[in-house]
Amino acid sequence: MTQAEIKLCSLLLQEHFGEIVEKIGVHLIRTGSQPLRVIVHDTATSLDQVKKALCVLIQHNLVLYQVHKRGVVEYEAQCNRVLRMLRYPRYIYTTKALYGDTGELIVEELLLNGKMTMSAVVKKVADRLTETVEDGKTMDYAEVSNTFVQLADTRFVQRCPMVHIPENSDTGPSPPAPSLVINEKDMYLVPKLSLIGKGKRRRSSDEDAAGEPKAKRPKRPMDSKEPIPDDGIYWQANLDRFHQHFRDQAIVSAVANRMDQTSSEIMRAMLRMSEVTTSSDAPFTQPLSSNEIFRSLPVGYNISKQVLDQYLTLLADDPLEFVGKSGDSGGGMYIINFCKALASLAIATLESVIQERFGSRCARIFRLVLQKKHLEQKQVEDFAMIPAKEAKDMLYKMLSENFISLQEIPKTPDHAPSRTFYLYTVNVLSAVRMLLHRCYKSVSNLIERRQFETKENKRLLEKSQRVEAIIASVQATGAEEAQLQEIEEMITAPERQQLETLKRNVNKLDASEIQVDETIFLLESYIESTTKRQ
Amino acid sequence: MPGDFAGLFKIIELCHQFPHGITDQVIQNEMPHIEAQQRAVAINRLLSMGQLDLLRSSTGLLYRIKDSQNAGSVSFFLSKMKGSDNQEKLVYQIIEDAGNKGIWSRDIRYKSNLPLTEINKILKNLESKKLIKAVKSVAASKKKVYMLYNLQPDRSVTGGAWYSDQDFESEFVEVLNQQCFKFLQSKAETARESKQNPMIQRNSSFASSHEVWKYICELGISKVELSMEDIETILNTLIYDGKVEMTIIAAKEGTVGSVDGHMKLYRAVSPIIPPTGLVRAPCGLCPVFDDCHEGGEISPSNCIYMTEWLEF
Repeated sequence: MTQAEIKLCSLLLQEHFGEIVEKIGVHLIRTGSQPLRVIVHDTATSLDQVKKALCVLIQHNLVLYQVHKRGVVEYEAQCNRVLRMLRYPRYIYTTKALYGDTGELIVEELLLNGKMTMSAVVKKVADRLTETVEDGKTMDYAEVSNTFVQLADTRFVQRCPMVHIPENSDTGPSPPAPSLVINEKDMYLVPKLSLIGKGKRRRSSDEDAAGEPKAKRPKRPMDSKEPIPDDGIYWQANLDRFHQHFRDQAIVSAVANRMDQTSSEIMRAMLRMSEVTTSSDAPFTQPLSSNEIFRSLPVGYNISKQVLDQYLTLLADDPLEFVGKSGDSGGGMYIINFCKALASLAIATLESVIQERFGSRCARIFRLVLQKKHLEQKQVEDFAMIPAKEAKDMLYKMLSENFISLQEIPKTPDHAPSRTFYLYTVNVLSAVRMLLHRCYKSVSNLIERRQFETKENKRLLEKSQRVEAIIASVQATGAEEAQLQEIEEMITAPERQQLETLKRNVNKLDASEIQVDETIFLLESYIESTTKRQ
Repeated sequence: MPGDFAGLFKIIELCHQFPHGITDQVIQNEMPHIEAQQRAVAINRLLSMGQLDLLRSSTGLLYRIKDSQNAGSVSFFLSKMKGSDNQEKLVYQIIEDAGNKGIWSRDIRYKSNLPLTEINKILKNLESKKLIKAVKSVAASKKKVYMLYNLQPDRSVTGGAWYSDQDFESEFVEVLNQQCFKFLQSKAETARESKQNPMIQRNSSFASSHEVWKYICELGISKVELSMEDIETILNTLIYDGKVEMTIIAAKEGTVGSVDGHMKLYRAVSPIIPPTGLVRAPCGLCPVFDDCHEGGEISPSNCIYMTEWLEF
């Protein structure tokens, strides 16, 4: 794990879970898999605290455990998974776009709690939704359950591995750590629950839950007496599926930019058809016939079969090479080439960074070397039509930033510089890795700046919080306009201004973190798809 | 001696009779009364006067009359070169052979086996007599090639249309670049708005290199005449800018603009992703990124780029 990644993990863990968890987590990331005693010893924290920290980390799928020989249990941190915490807002937003507020809250609850049972999720979400609707209406459990089932069907949530109970369960002592297994078929199987009920508001001035069947629990805090019907079946958010969705989104928007709206809609239909047939890391989709695509186009789209065929041909012939034609049966079989698509997106990201940092002439030289693979200095000047001095300057600048590398081809065995060919070339994988490292550091910088800004204005924030609390309590006991006015004036105008600026800055930094995370996603997907192929 | 002149004229006549050249044997046969010694003297006289050419063939030495054209320039040459020695003539010959590509001084030295100082003296001499000129090559700006005074230097030396007086005309290239792109862009626009079926739409958004060449010629922004290859190099730079894509299609011989049975078509395109997230944060463009760490001189807490960016 690189320094930049460790720094970012440490910041994320600290923000979400606090100091102790951060210490244990970073220690595990740095040192790899370790047993409990060693962790306690190396981090100089008490056994109790270490246990609690590990509990939190395991609950959120950030740490895995494994039983080694001689009964020693070792804990290993998943650095990649910790970095995903940066992407939580994007997951939640995607679910909101696809399944509305209900879906959004379900995924939010699952992400914030790591693992939950379905009934717990449904109850909590119903309560939260009931808070937001107007008085007199409540959220029915059935609606939330339906959305949950939909999410499970489209595989956005999945079951966690369960405790495996062997047939002969009384022989021998129980193992030090349970082994968790999950059957492929059961992963998206929703248990048959009859969750009947409605969401409850937090405040005591509540409407009566009259006409409810006896299964409804009357008192909220004491529901631990009743057995939960689906105990032991925990659900978590399926991050791979979200990543697949993001990748599809990126491809569709790329096609929309390069061609037109209709082509991108056809692309979207093809991707939707391959969602469940192709695994998320396959390089190609299954071949889709043109007839199938025609049938699965969205209902409102009136294009004739010939026009569809023409569009498909255009997609297949385009230099982008996202779609390829693999046969002629069924009106033409088409496949989507994910490797090429991710590579094009990663290269476009590289080009965009170079363009913004160094200028469009540099970008021209970069694309030139990329296309021609290996070029001499003189050839670069000739093809790019840039004066020799400027071209040299730009090449050296890009070389020093490691976007371009030099390949030496000696003419004589003694590698004398005057008798060696020096060729410029672009090694895409290493440039992408370098850029990814830069992204991680950038996000760390943004988080640090955000924390700094908040710390700077801590006094002011505390004051405003106190004032708000006073206003709330005064309002609850019934107060007049004048009193409220007086309290509000405790915060002077410049202070209010400062608060506004602070809020705006923090939002801006937050948004920027998410934007850099988009770049991180594209680059990571590309690296994954190329390294997996090898 | 009077006999000498007669001998000279006889030899010249013989040479005229055999324009491809005569060997010493032939002269001996025709004029048996002249001794070998005198013959040699006569031939040397003619050679030094530039009336004859000395050639070597498989059988031996040949003497050939210099034809009238050369004889004309030769007389001009002779009038200029009176008093010049053979070395200069040799050097001049070498430069003449190099044609309009010119020849470098080191190559002259190799070919003539003369020492450097001699060469330089001779070249200066010839230049002052306005027989040769030095042309700076665009490839290596320190290198000077020499060619005959009245010759037009070749494109490879001057760089063709993109160079004027050894200077790369970058503004000219930029202007051409933008004009070509505008032409292709408007063609794509009209194709997109025509709203016909996609095949036709796409095919009409393409323009062949010939079309672009005609458009640029008609625009008249170029003082120099541009060929289709020149336009293709400009279009290639647009491809490297990521603004244009190219396909090659097979074309029948004889269709306008086809070269060797295929045609290059160009189309304006837009980039596939908007500027990426990293460059929207100040860290993506920061020049001192590597020096930045918490607690240092340059850190996220006191980053001036961030401060400026937040005030935006």
